[in-house]
Amino acid sequence: MREDLFDLPFEEPAPDPELEVREAPPGVSDTSARAAERRVITVSELTAAIREALESRFFEVFVEGEISNCKVWNTGHMYFSLKDERAQVKAIMFRSALRYLKFKPEDGLHVIARGRVSVYEPKGEYQFVCEHLEPHGFGARQVAFEQLKKKLQAEGLFDGARKRPLPVLPRKIGIVTSLDGAALRDIIQVLRRRYPNAHLVIRPTRVQGEGAAAEIAHAVRAIGRVAGVDVAIVGRGGGSAEDLWAFNEEPVARAIAAAPMPIISAVGHEVDYTIADFVADLRAPTPSAAAEIVVKAKEEYCSRIDRLRDRLRASMRHDLQQRRGRVHALLARRGFGAFTGRIGMRGRHAAELSHALAHATREHVARRERQLTRARLRLESLDLRRRLALVRGRLVAADGKMTAAASRRQQRLDGRLRALAGQLETLSPLGVLSRGYALAWNADRSAIIRTAEAVTPGDRVHVTLQHGELSCDVVSVSDTHPRAGNGTPEPENPEPRR
Amino acid sequence: MTDTIKDFESAIAELESVVKTLEEGDLPLEKSLQLFERGVQLSRFCHAQLEEAEKRIELLNERGELRPAPASFGTDEGEKTR
Repeated sequence: MREDLFDLPFEEPAPDPELEVREAPPGVSDTSARAAERRVITVSELTAAIREALESRFFEVFVEGEISNCKVWNTGHMYFSLKDERAQVKAIMFRSALRYLKFKPEDGLHVIARGRVSVYEPKGEYQFVCEHLEPHGFGARQVAFEQLKKKLQAEGLFDGARKRPLPVLPRKIGIVTSLDGAALRDIIQVLRRRYPNAHLVIRPTRVQGEGAAAEIAHAVRAIGRVAGVDVAIVGRGGGSAEDLWAFNEEPVARAIAAAPMPIISAVGHEVDYTIADFVADLRAPTPSAAAEIVVKAKEEYCSRIDRLRDRLRASMRHDLQQRRGRVHALLARRGFGAFTGRIGMRGRHAAELSHALAHATREHVARRERQLTRARLRLESLDLRRRLALVRGRLVAADGKMTAAASRRQQRLDGRLRALAGQLETLSPLGVLSRGYALAWNADRSAIIRTAEAVTPGDRVHVTLQHGELSCDVVSVSDTHPRAGNGTPEPENPEPRR
Repeated sequence: MTDTIKDFESAIAELESVVKTLEEGDLPLEKSLQLFERGVQLSRFCHAQLEEAEKRIELLNERGELRPAPASFGTDEGEKTR
């Protein structure tokens, strides 16, 4: 077939007309005359004819060869050559077709290319327009797998140093898988059985089909953002190589590598290895196994702690037994008699000390009690003071009322006093004096003179008048009734003594 | 030796050294008792930590929200109803 392609231009049955044209002598009439019978065509016509011949003849061919000079232009189209030992053909693969390849074409790759032959007229070049490429000898997927594996390995994503240890005690276990797959059921069953109080956060995702890889990657990133998830299982149950394919794609690998917590991959069965397995911090052969791995740490710790506790108790018991044994051995020794004496002495000393201690303690307690009593008294007095203030307040109020009452009473008393004073006035001897009577006092004013016999001539008497007083000397004394009594000196000498 | 316990791992490490020290013996009685008490405290702490996680199953949806999974979730019964 290839032979045919190359031979095609030379298969024209007629002798080369153009050759004859060129050989003819330069004569106008001559040329035009011969052109008519020789059927001259233009370059474009020729090229178009070639194109038509090639494209109709080779509209779908499968070509086996090796890729070389492979280059993807920034238009997204890939230009390359397909070659074998003896020949090569230029080829192009458009972006639209390139997109569907599961692997990246590269130089030296042995492939089977499906496509058509086309002619690029401006340059007179024919080329193979590749619709699909498939690695020869093994599947495209395998090539892609090897390629991605090599690439990520070169980046160090599989390095043992990158692998994070699983949490000792996972607080929250993330699960990225399909909701209706066997994987989820298996994982939950194992956890239910062996770690009943596990906290699971499940991020459902499609795990196969077109776009599954992007979804898984998205789900891994989403679970990475959930606070507290400290380990996540990413996987699915068994299936065909095609079913598991999403776990071989780069986005999934990248998401796993970038996850903030350790990831356990659990894809398919024991024999299935995916790129995700290489990137994950730990590969579990199956989803159930992944769950077992997660709980294993917990169970191991449980039994380790139990063992440690047993040893702790045993060694303490042993320790005490030994000490007891030593004590018994000592007691059994003969030298112990002297020892007991010393112990007795110590015992007395101890008793004394304890007595002193008890005494000191009592003393101390008593002191404290006294302090307490004082404090209580102070406290009570404080209370008393408050009550005092209260009473004082009431007292002031009462005082006010009382003052008012008192002043009313005083007024009443005052009135009575004045009345009494009036009465007193009328009873007073001074009142009598105002009516013209006078009082005669003896010399030393100790008595009022009522009878003439009370004095003798020559005595000094005092006479009290309404206004003033007289001192008089008795000239004579007559025994007559006061009616004739002229003994009373006339106020010829009204010189008041005061 | 302090009373505080940093985390599970340090607790288990300390418990191990406590047990070892006790097993080697030759300690004053007070020290033995002290170590024993510390050991008991540590093992209790570890057990408590082991049982601490909450029994719960949650689903993380597209909007990043956590929703409790239905009770039958993950059981055979749950499988059938889905």
